[in-house]
Amino acid sequence: MRPSAFFDPRVAGQATSRRLVAGVGVRAIAALHATTRALATLGGAFGSVAAPGSAARSVARRVLLMQILFTGVQALGLVSVIALFLGATIIIQIGMMAPATTGDILGRILVAVVLRELAPLGTAIIVGGRSGTAIAAELGGMKVNSEILALSSLGIDPSRYVVLPRLLGVVVSVLALMVYFGVVAIVGGYIVSLPIIPSSFGALRAGFSEALGPADLLLFFGKGVGLGTIVGWASCHFGLQVSVSPTEVPQMASRAVVTSLLGCVVFNTAVTAAFYWAVGSPMRY
Amino acid sequence: MIPPRPGLVVLDASFRYGDIVVLDDESLSVEPGETLVVTGENGVGKSTLLYLCAGLIPVSSGAVLLDGRSPDRVHPSALFRAGVRRGFVFQQGGLLSNLSAFANVVLALRYHADVLGLDEATVDRRARDALARMDVARADMHALPAHLSFGVRKRVAVARALALEPNFMFFDDPDAGLDPESARLVQDLLVSCRDDPRITSVVASNHRGLLDRLEVQPHELCGGKLLQRVSRFVV
Repeated sequence: MRPSAFFDPRVAGQATSRRLVAGVGVRAIAALHATTRALATLGGAFGSVAAPGSAARSVARRVLLMQILFTGVQALGLVSVIALFLGATIIIQIGMMAPATTGDILGRILVAVVLRELAPLGTAIIVGGRSGTAIAAELGGMKVNSEILALSSLGIDPSRYVVLPRLLGVVVSVLALMVYFGVVAIVGGYIVSLPIIPSSFGALRAGFSEALGPADLLLFFGKGVGLGTIVGWASCHFGLQVSVSPTEVPQMASRAVVTSLLGCVVFNTAVTAAFYWAVGSPMRY
Repeated sequence: MIPPRPGLVVLDASFRYGDIVVLDDESLSVEPGETLVVTGENGVGKSTLLYLCAGLIPVSSGAVLLDGRSPDRVHPSALFRAGVRRGFVFQQGGLLSNLSAFANVVLALRYHADVLGLDEATVDRRARDALARMDVARADMHALPAHLSFGVRKRVAVARALALEPNFMFFDDPDAGLDPESARLVQDLLVSCRDDPRITSVVASNHRGLLDRLEVQPHELCGGKLLQRVSRFVV
């Protein structure tokens, strides 16, 4: 194409390239700023653990207990139902696909599927969907109503009074609910599926004993702390990103849930891959 | 190096909020025990100026010092521990919506009980005294802010700020939207703060009645400048 007085494709191409590079640069800088802010939220919360003030610690502890009540205790019913039906579904699926499955093999599969994967990820998703949105919306509302500024004006550290108890509350709740999820999914699922897979509970327990090792405790704890931190962190951080308008609150609550879901799935997969790379195949373990 | 100086010092500070220039390389100082009254058109940035002076939001450039100390936004308790106690009455109250009126007042007292040397009984008494001083009825003390009228919410917010016995008070449109009785109560309190040599106050308001009661020469915020400024702090 021959350049005209009005349109030179080489100049237009250079301009497009510059716009593209500028666009990428702007996005990269925005991502860097967002990451820095998110890390500041986490750093501020963990940094306040060592902050002085026994009275402040006592006040924050009360908020932590309330958070565990809202996030952990009040979620027991929902977790029970989901764990029971998911556990039963998995046992039924195994029974249908491999009718000759013995109790000990079933136990090994349940350890690998329910305890190592479903309990941590399922619990994190339930807590993220149920409490993560609530925390983000609550903190967003506090920002809009100048409550966070009011705390600062009173000399109360928002990172200590608002973020840290919610973050720790979510971590403790996820850990406790993971254990509960695993027990309900396996025991409840076994009872529900008894008419379909008539295996003895003793054989099932033998399978558990063979499959479970000390590394599982580390995996379970590591996943619980990691997933709980992701959910609590994302919820608090996005809640605090609300600036002035109430219309931002649902947007940030949604971003908090989406981010924590993505973060949990990626983290869970990475930890599982690292675990099996370290201990080998679940059927040989 | 900025020499430590008591009272409020804003030094060569700038702050822009969207298209609004709140402060444009402006300096001001309010001596301990003095009262600064800021007026200005709606939307000119009076509330933001108050937030900046209280150290609740950071200035883009320059410095804000309260009793010679720079406020730490991440750990505001550090300023409190250093003896700088701020009381801030927000335009809409700024009460914590999940706590009762009484719990709102008690919260900061409990949080700083070790710094202030208060036991639980003293915390309780001080909170009740502050609420009684602002004429908050006993029945309203245990209600959530959502169940209180705007006037009562604002009086609780003032009580919350007063309970800490602050040495800096910031009032953002303190009597706006109040019934005459509540407005009179708040104005009386502002006059007592003005006369208290231990309290340095900054008041943002356009309300003629309040300005007349305070009898303090107001300063108008306009285009990022405070006209008729009290004094210029020189390094």
